Amino acid sequence: MVKVKLEHKRGRLVLHIGDLKLECTIEPRRWRNPLLAVAVLVLLPPLFFHRPDILTLLTTANIYACVAIPVAWQMIGIGRMNFGPQIFIGIGGFAAALLSIHLGLGPLQSLPLVIIIGLISGFMLSPLTIVAKGLYYSIITLVLPLVFMQLTYVYSNIFGGEYGLSGVQQLISLGSMKLNFLVTFYLSLLMMLVFMFVVNSIFRSRMGLFAAAINDDEDVANALGLNVNWWKIVCYTITSMMVSLTGWFIAYNIGGFSGETYLPLSFMLKILLIVMIGGRGEIYGTLIGAYFVSFLETGLRAAFGSISHVLFPLILLILLLTLREGLYGLYSKHRYREYYPTVRVRKR
Amino acid sequence: MLLNVQNITKRFGGLIAVSNLSFSVEGGEILGLIGPNGAGKTTFMNVLSGTLPADSGKIEFDGHDITNKAPHEICQLGISRTYQIPRPFPDLTALLNVAVGVMCGKRRPHMGFGDALLDASHCLEFVGLFGKRNILARDLSLYELRVLELARAIATTPKLILIDEVMAGLNPAESRRAIKLIGRMVEEYHVTLIWIEHVMKIIMEATDRVVVLHHGEKLVSGSPREVSNDPKVIESYLGKKYV
Repeated sequence: MVKVKLEHKRGRLVLHIGDLKLECTIEPRRWRNPLLAVAVLVLLPPLFFHRPDILTLLTTANIYACVAIPVAWQMIGIGRMNFGPQIFIGIGGFAAALLSIHLGLGPLQSLPLVIIIGLISGFMLSPLTIVAKGLYYSIITLVLPLVFMQLTYVYSNIFGGEYGLSGVQQLISLGSMKLNFLVTFYLSLLMMLVFMFVVNSIFRSRMGLFAAAINDDEDVANALGLNVNWWKIVCYTITSMMVSLTGWFIAYNIGGFSGETYLPLSFMLKILLIVMIGGRGEIYGTLIGAYFVSFLETGLRAAFGSISHVLFPLILLILLLTLREGLYGLYSKHRYREYYPTVRVRKR
Repeated sequence: MLLNVQNITKRFGGLIAVSNLSFSVEGGEILGLIGPNGAGKTTFMNVLSGTLPADSGKIEFDGHDITNKAPHEICQLGISRTYQIPRPFPDLTALLNVAVGVMCGKRRPHMGFGDALLDASHCLEFVGLFGKRNILARDLSLYELRVLELARAIATTPKLILIDEVMAGLNPAESRRAIKLIGRMVEEYHVTLIWIEHVMKIIMEATDRVVVLHHGEKLVSGSPREVSNDPKVIESYLGKKYV
């Protein structure tokens, strides 16, 4: 019989399952501000019940965050800059759309299949993280989504060509359009929070330490006994699956999927800027970056019209150059934070 | 016999960096590996630790054939190393640098993160860096980086540690502290050392046996006194004129 034991030890909850030991820090100062932020995100949107445009903007921000969070983890975990994470949005989106259109599968029915497809496609592309380095890795990842986009044009009978696929079953249908928008926002928020919790937990565990070591110097990490290739494959596969799930959400949310919108370089640049401006390697920063970029893009478009296409990237570039530690750095610099729990060791 | 190196050769294109190198190391021994610059000492270290593959030859360690094994496998079998130019993880604290060694050096899937940090703190305390455990590695001095590398090596619970010019860049006081630390490390952790060093005084005093490399080949092997008086060694360092 497997022994299960839960104990509270030095500000940590420790769960023993047989030989396995799982720890969770319960210091209030670690959870207070994130809980406040979640409370704001949960309580604020009903105030915009009659503004579906703002709810759509918030949903879009959550979707950007859902892409940026795994991309941020991937950048650290494999120590390389991926310039084409959106290929997995395409894989997830098209898989969801095709499953819905041809097999009539609803969102919950196609979810496990899209997870499997995301894992398989991530695993198949993961050897890139081992064989390619530096510029070569960046170029290969940059080209992959563009190749995929061209394939959607060549096989337009399957992928719908430039116009993409339509007629996908709706994610939510509650009879009221405004209620649909609100519930869709909460679903996107739930997905984003799950991603953030998973990646944050990973960053605070041994996997996070391994990712940091690989990012700093993978040769030394290898020499210290860390199977770098294995961890890079695991990191790439799981993050690719997470990005594919975002594609799944997009397909069911808008009722279709088009590679024209999500596979080009412009979308990739937006995601990378969200990661960098939010604060490279800061998971909470990606959320701030996603909301900032979404609101900036929409605000500039409303205020300046077509000139916003010039202003938007210009402002982001200026922020990228001036805010070295990102938007989250503005907050964290003024508040001492322990990245890892401090171990209080008493010297005798 | 803990380590048996047989006819190891490593080429970089037309350049033979290590040529038919053979020697053995007994458990508990401190072996000095010396030679002029470009003799192939660090290249051999890289081959032994798995960073570079050998072109020919065989390496047996503790009954295992480790020739051309992956570096992480060799580390988990019990070989750890330091670097000529310190290579810490700059964005991690000293404690986390050592924790990587604790968690990866041996298979410990059920070791909690807190326990690993506790083990790491013991290693830091041993080398005298406990007070700097929360300082980022990039903010440590050269001496502190060198002892951090020793702590990281100890954390992997090795049987053999490869030390690569640990005294380089240290002042005399720091060098004395480092030698004492290495001596304590051998006594308390019962490790075997292969020590590359250019400071002859340390090699003469601290090592049990010395192997001299020149142009990638083994020139001489013997006790420090025998090696220091060998005419071939004097010729390789200073030239024929001084033999």
